[in-house]
Amino acid sequence: MIKFHNVTKIFKSDLLTQPFVALNDVTFDIPDGSMVGFLGANGAGKTTSLKIIMDFIRPTSGEVLFSESLGKNKMDIFKNIGFLPERPYFYPTLTGYDFLKFMGQLSGLDQKTIETEITRWAPIFKIDYALKRELKTYSKGMLQRVGFMTTILHHPKIIILDEPLSGLDPIGRKELKDVIIQVHKEGKTVFFSSHIVPDIEEICDRVIFLKEGKLVYDGSVSSLMKKAKVQDYFISAIVPQEIEFKTNLKKCTQLPDQLKKFVVSENDRHSLITELISNGCNIVSVEMQKVSLEEIFYNSKGDL
Amino acid sequence: MIAEKIKIVAYYTFKEILKSKVLLNVFFMGLGLMLVTYVATEFTYGVPHRITLDVGLGVLSLSSLAISLFLGVTLLSKEIDSRTVYMVVARPVPRYAFIMGKVIGLMGIQVINVILLTLTTFIITIILGGEFTPLIFWTIGFILLESLLLLLVVVMISLLANTILSTLLSIIILLLGHSIKDAQNLTLVKTQPFLQKLLDFYHFVLPGFYKFNLKDYVIYKASVPSSYLFATLSYGTIYSLFLCTIIIFLFNKKNLD
Ligand SMILES: Nc1ncnc2c1ncn2[C@@H]1O[C@H](COP(=O)(O)OP(=O)(O)OP(=O)(O)O)[C@@H](O)[C@H]1O
Ligand SMILES: [Mg+2]
Repeated sequence: MIKFHNVTKIFKSDLLTQPFVALNDVTFDIPDGSMVGFLGANGAGKTTSLKIIMDFIRPTSGEVLFSESLGKNKMDIFKNIGFLPERPYFYPTLTGYDFLKFMGQLSGLDQKTIETEITRWAPIFKIDYALKRELKTYSKGMLQRVGFMTTILHHPKIIILDEPLSGLDPIGRKELKDVIIQVHKEGKTVFFSSHIVPDIEEICDRVIFLKEGKLVYDGSVSSLMKKAKVQDYFISAIVPQEIEFKTNLKKCTQLPDQLKKFVVSENDRHSLITELISNGCNIVSVEMQKVSLEEIFYNSKGDL
Repeated sequence: MIAEKIKIVAYYTFKEILKSKVLLNVFFMGLGLMLVTYVATEFTYGVPHRITLDVGLGVLSLSSLAISLFLGVTLLSKEIDSRTVYMVVARPVPRYAFIMGKVIGLMGIQVINVILLTLTTFIITIILGGEFTPLIFWTIGFILLESLLLLLVVVMISLLANTILSTLLSIIILLLGHSIKDAQNLTLVKTQPFLQKLLDFYHFVLPGFYKFNLKDYVIYKASVPSSYLFATLSYGTIYSLFLCTIIIFLFNKKNLD
């Protein structure tokens, strides 16, 4: 649907400062109907990439290609995109309703469609109670909701969101994630940036990871998870007496009330449990250590 | 299609400025000044309605120029700095349509301002027993044209420099544009061929704002040849189109980051 092709972006602010390479020959594509997460630490180049896709800034080299299904010229293509900038800021004196109407009109919707769409989405975004108020009275989370809402009123084929979940409370995150999932189910392609891995792990089928302006990983979430090493187990038990364990323990921590916490490899877990039981110990819990994408990414040295 | 988009941007620009109550300040300033003149006329030996007209038109032209200058300088830069521009240009709206909409929206404010102040001036003048020649409409039209021209100058500069610098530069260009004719007629200049060339060049390139000033003709009921009126009208129009082209070019090139 959108192909980001060999894009390099070098910022040259003035003669005195060093040119800065924000994106270094980055190539990826966003397939039709996918839900793609765009990961990277602060300053990795996510916003810069999105600005290039939206033609706010031009790449130093490389190009962005849009598939025919989006449209043939820029105006048609942009009709099919819903974009939410990072930390959106809106016209403070407009009411939420007027702002939604303004954005709907710019996308070529007529008055009636705008009304219908607002009535449909406002309760889903839980913002219907505030639409008559001026935007300057909105909280950060409310602005994020209205901003998100403007991206889907006009039935775009793809929505591109720059950190849509930032600045929201846990319930808000959950609610907006649900909306993202719903929008995706309706057949829209979703591309959103975040530096919070669990959010992406939870809802995306595909992830693109940038590190210091370079593409480090582009592929499915599950195949990435498979790359994770053999998993460890956490076992805790009440151990009243000293025991000389034969099992190979990776780690053993003494907790209050005779409670001990063991870390063993996957293969050793049965023998440890048997040993504990035969010594009359009370097993409290057995847990598989979850290797999150977070660890995979932030521990990687660019070799995914 | 595109005209529709320009209209939408213009409408919301107009609405936003109207709500920001800037106009109210200008209006009260005008009203206050009119009141002061009214009081002043009671104590002077001049012709009262002539003074009203003089001050009224003065306030009208000053406030229009002030709106162009102070609202114009942030018209685009505010949108860029606060990133509201992203919301608009991420829609199927070409950048030139965005600019045209912003400029037309602000000119809408100018028109409202002109209507309010003109009505005030008319009413007071008529109460004081004055009357008007049709030239008054040309005068007011030219005030609008002058403020459009200044607005475009300001917007253009604001795309290249920061707010303070843009304001200063625009004021300088405005003042020079008003004094260039007088400067050319100075004996000092007339005797210095180089200086003369320099001013001629300036006059050729930068806007001659003095052309739009018909106030004295109205007040003293002098007549102005219609050829002059039409020549000035075309001058203002062509110059404005020229500035629009430059602004659109600059804004299209601009990185919005
Ligand atoms: N206009 C600019 N001039 C110079 N450098 C810039 C400019 N815009 C961005 N950069 C630099 O490019 C790099 C990438 O910035 P970008 O905003 O794309 O990061 P990001 O991945 O979106 O980070 P975050 O998670 O903090 O939003 C940063 O180091 C930033 O300083
Ligand atoms: Mg960012």
